[in-house]
Amino acid sequence: MREHLKSCAQAVLDGESEIAEELARLTLEKKMDLLEVIENGFVAGIREVGKLWEEGILFLPELVMGAEAMKAAMELLQPALETEGSDREKVGHVVIGTIEGDIHDIGKTLVATMLSANGFKITDLGADVPAVRFVDEAEKNDADCIAISALLTTTMPGQKKVIEELDKRSMRSRVKVMVGGAPCDEKWAAEIGADGYAGDAVAAVSLARSLTGRG
Amino acid sequence: MSMDFREYIKGRKVLFDGGMGSMLIAAGMGEKEIPEQWNSLYPGRLVDIHSAYFEAGAEVVQTNSFGGSGLKLSASEAGRTLDPSEVNETAVRLVREALARFSPDAEAGSGEPDSSLDGGLRRFVAGDIGPSGEFFPPMGTLSAEKAKETFLVQAAALDRGGVDLFLIETMYDIREAVEALRAVREISGKPVIVELTFDRKPRGFFTLMGDTPEKAAEILSSEGADVIGANCTIQSDVAAELAGEFKKVTDLPILIQPNAGKPELSGGRAVYRQTPEEFAVDMERVLDAGADAVGGCCGTTPEFIRALRLKMDSKG
Repeated sequence: MREHLKSCAQAVLDGESEIAEELARLTLEKKMDLLEVIENGFVAGIREVGKLWEEGILFLPELVMGAEAMKAAMELLQPALETEGSDREKVGHVVIGTIEGDIHDIGKTLVATMLSANGFKITDLGADVPAVRFVDEAEKNDADCIAISALLTTTMPGQKKVIEELDKRSMRSRVKVMVGGAPCDEKWAAEIGADGYAGDAVAAVSLARSLTGRG
Repeated sequence: MSMDFREYIKGRKVLFDGGMGSMLIAAGMGEKEIPEQWNSLYPGRLVDIHSAYFEAGAEVVQTNSFGGSGLKLSASEAGRTLDPSEVNETAVRLVREALARFSPDAEAGSGEPDSSLDGGLRRFVAGDIGPSGEFFPPMGTLSAEKAKETFLVQAAALDRGGVDLFLIETMYDIREAVEALRAVREISGKPVIVELTFDRKPRGFFTLMGDTPEKAAEILSSEGADVIGANCTIQSDVAAELAGEFKKVTDLPILIQPNAGKPELSGGRAVYRQTPEEFAVDMERVLDAGADAVGGCCGTTPEFIRALRLKMDSKG
């Protein structure tokens, strides 16, 4: 088992989707403990990828490939986990998008990929998303968290509009709000009453975990 | 009398212009508009901004065509209504109009001598080419062919407009920079500058893809770039260190264009706290560290370029 866990983590670290998939299949065939393999195998791998990325040792291509390998494995394991009726904590659901008037979606997509690789359920609304739509989708999906990206100083105020809309519908207490994008920072998050700011995709995962207590 | 930029930059330090985006926002550009749209909407305002940079003492002024590749334009609602060739040709015309205010007899394709500049300084129009906005695998689906195709259209239009040189900038992926460079080389023998964008990591300077200045220098010089360097992402305070890294790995002339100090938010608006003088002091160190040419990127204005001109002139 220990060897298997190490291989799973390594497959993610190497960004080897096919190997990760094969290992996931083997996990199912041999009826190994799914939670154990996910947590101490694949998730351990993606956490290491995130750590090395933050340290400037891995870069964007490795981060994306690691996340892809993680996703490939989870696509096989997730359905089994569900039929097994596993008691793995309910995963957090994050509604994510780039705010209206802003078409930058590279950073947002990266955050969505990393959140998804770390077990969050994601509703990605894309770019140029009106404030009202963030809240509509959060309501519809009973989401735990809204993540709003803004890459322009001119579109940042839109992040505040989402929070105002949540207030208006009395949803603010049950939906956390995180913001990101080049011009944002902690100060800005505090100023508009968001629950937190994340400077990159790895920080976004930690933030989403601490805000929702899930993932 | 015309002069090739390659000759011009030999044995002298050259000053480029500064930021465009923040100038356009200050001039009233709206949320849904894109900079390239303004070339046809408000040509007069563009000519004024270019003129302000020439007037501040910039020898090279860049066309407002950073996002002017077909791929980049097609990513926005506003951009989809624009014709890439027209955007780029117009962008050149607007800088040439600004240039004509200073050098009335200016001809396309020449560094124009200018009686208002001392010490034999000349003025050049650089055709600006920015990233396509798409990513190569594994991040995206961009291919070398698709990248080259879009840059060929842009480069040809800039060339027809009459640029003196090409400036490929803010490239985060060497592969894309190479395709832009090849596209330019295919249609023109004019000088080409390639700037990548680097961030400072614990282990040194790297592009988003993890490439070093050394690797960039090796590939770009073998692909025939005339000048190489870096712009955006970093601020002026660490630019000297990056210039030093380039100096160690290349014999080509080096251009460095950092951002003004990090913007701070004030009432929901970005405010650059760094003064033009502080920027100029940092940039003098960049020149001392081995850069052959300097200018500014995001947040820098004609005032920053003027302060730098004064520093460079007083040094002689």
